[in-house]
Amino acid sequence: MQSLSSSSIEGTLLSLSAVVILLAAFACLGSKLFNRYVAYYGLQSIVLSFAAAVVAYHYDNAQLWALAILTLAVKGLAIPIAARRLLLRRLELKRDVAMSTGLSTSLIIGALLTAFAYLAIRAQDLPHGVVASSVVPLSTAVVLLGALIMVVRRHTVAQLIGWLITENGVFLGAITLVATFPFIVEAGIFLDLVAAVLIMVVFVSGITRRLAEATSSELMELRG
Amino acid sequence: MIALVALVVLLPLTGALAVAVRCRARGAGSALIAGAIGSFAASIALAAAATGHPHLQGIGGFLYVDPLAVFFAITVCLVVVLAAFGSAAYLRVEEDRGELSSFQVRLYFVFFSVFASGMLGSLFAGNLGLLWVLIEASTLASAALVGLEAKARSLEAAWKYVIISSLGVTIALLATLWLFYAGSALHLTSNERLTWSYLFAHAHALQPGSLRLAFLLAVVGYGTKVGLAPMHTWLPDAHSEAPSPASAMLSAALLNTGMYAVIRFQAIAKAGLGNAYPDHVLLVFGFLTLFVGVIFMVRRGNFKRLFAYSSIEHMGIVAIALGFGGILGLYGALLQVLNHAIGKAVLFLSTGDFVLGYRTRESSEVRGALGALPLAGGVLVLASLAVAGCPPFGIFLSELTIVRAGFARSAPVLTGLLLLLLVVGFIALVGTTLAMATGDGPEPLHPYPRRSGRLLAALPLVSGLGILALLGVWIPGGLNEIIVHAVRAIS
Repeated sequence: MQSLSSSSIEGTLLSLSAVVILLAAFACLGSKLFNRYVAYYGLQSIVLSFAAAVVAYHYDNAQLWALAILTLAVKGLAIPIAARRLLLRRLELKRDVAMSTGLSTSLIIGALLTAFAYLAIRAQDLPHGVVASSVVPLSTAVVLLGALIMVVRRHTVAQLIGWLITENGVFLGAITLVATFPFIVEAGIFLDLVAAVLIMVVFVSGITRRLAEATSSELMELRG
Repeated sequence: MIALVALVVLLPLTGALAVAVRCRARGAGSALIAGAIGSFAASIALAAAATGHPHLQGIGGFLYVDPLAVFFAITVCLVVVLAAFGSAAYLRVEEDRGELSSFQVRLYFVFFSVFASGMLGSLFAGNLGLLWVLIEASTLASAALVGLEAKARSLEAAWKYVIISSLGVTIALLATLWLFYAGSALHLTSNERLTWSYLFAHAHALQPGSLRLAFLLAVVGYGTKVGLAPMHTWLPDAHSEAPSPASAMLSAALLNTGMYAVIRFQAIAKAGLGNAYPDHVLLVFGFLTLFVGVIFMVRRGNFKRLFAYSSIEHMGIVAIALGFGGILGLYGALLQVLNHAIGKAVLFLSTGDFVLGYRTRESSEVRGALGALPLAGGVLVLASLAVAGCPPFGIFLSELTIVRAGFARSAPVLTGLLLLLLVVGFIALVGTTLAMATGDGPEPLHPYPRRSGRLLAALPLVSGLGILALLGVWIPGGLNEIIVHAVRAIS
């Protein structure tokens, strides 16, 4: 099996997709409106499914085709639609105000994390001339940016989006670094299940409002 | 052998089956107890059958039985038995009082069964991808238990639990991917490159940089489930809001399953990178965890949160013992896992009686428990003494072993720090429970109106405490042999 070289057409497409995925994560980090979060996430997932399809085409691997279709159907379409219908409209979410740092500060931290991702991954001896060496640092940056969104946003729906972005980063890394990973589809299915559960919890409980507008006494309940 | 493993893993599902044939709390509880006891018996039989074989592999490496897996299976099975008795008693009272609807009770038994079975399955997963999938599945099932009471607070706790441990599990997936990548140079099939025994055997040929990253990510990812600081923040909320028998399962079984995954990764990392790096990582996380656990135990009002922080403390101790390493350190770590599991299961089950009796989780509102609820009060005092490390209970012995391992590694400063923190933890824990047991306070409701309920609730408390006392003075030869073989299997 030939590994994906960075000069081939597939390699170029994959690198470009990775850049778009990173930009979508930054766009999400720099946004304040809930429907934009969902839109950027949907865009990111569609690009990810395209990237998975490129890798699947290159290796002619049925598992990766399945992952690409699964990503498109669940993350590209189902989750954004469900999030819009169940969360944003029902709970009337528009503008996210529950942030612990300002937008510019979080963007700067995001840039630092991206630089850190390059430092941390460059040290690993990734094979030279292979597309993985340019994409894996980007995917690691996406993982860190997702986690950053979870940290700086206090609203449950925003945290949910942050986790979903982290997950996209993991799968971008997985398809470029270890395309033959045997559990890739199962992992995808399981994480989608988790996403479904998370959406359910937020929906059923309506804790979105409670956490977002939590008074200090409510925050004191589960302290320490 | 495979049949025995299947019995161990699948028997706890009887609880879910009973619900499927429309049993109520009583029937489902009895079915769960029967299944749990059967599963425990099968795990003992498995231990007997496995002696003499170093390890056993089946189904293309997906199934892997070695003494370490058997040891953890016995521990988890024992906890499941104790918690099954507790569940049968607790859930019936909640159903009779109308605090939980019969639908919620059914959900409880279904998810309890799936949770137990998922954890037991993950112990026998030879393939690290499968291990990840099963741990993830048990996380989902346990989240439902945490949020079961569906009050605002329990839902908030469930949310925190699911979101934080999902992030942890995602990081654990990343760790598994990097480990898989570290083996790219090996001439193995893709499935073999994820099979623990092959990875362990070829650890020296793994790419060191990627292996180091994989180990670190695994400690952070699976460490989130263990409750290692600073990823522990979900733990006190989830433990305090779950129904008491489910708290016992979380604290005594789930944390250990996470630790099991960490131990598996540590074994590969030690074989591939040498001892220094993995040991240092675990010592740093261990001491941070111990420190956080102990500091937050001081003056903690909610007693379930107090015990949750005590679990964090103990997981820190286990991580430190793994970091000290050597035969003594690993032996102490495994013994501590078993003892802590029993002690904490008993302690959390006894809190069930207080929550039902006093309808509060605040220790300041519980006074004079020794007089009002003699059995639960007595067990509370004894079990907290045991968990804090008082002789003659087993935890004293395992902590002594760990301290000896520290001195054997000639790390007197670290060992001294460990002892100091243990003392602070002791005072914080026993001080609170003694205050709850003595003095004058409000008269509680009787937690279990029926005789059968009283019996069901008392059985795990008394027997768990008995086993813990026994382990303090005598470690049965068979158990000793399993632990020694388990230590050899990972070093």
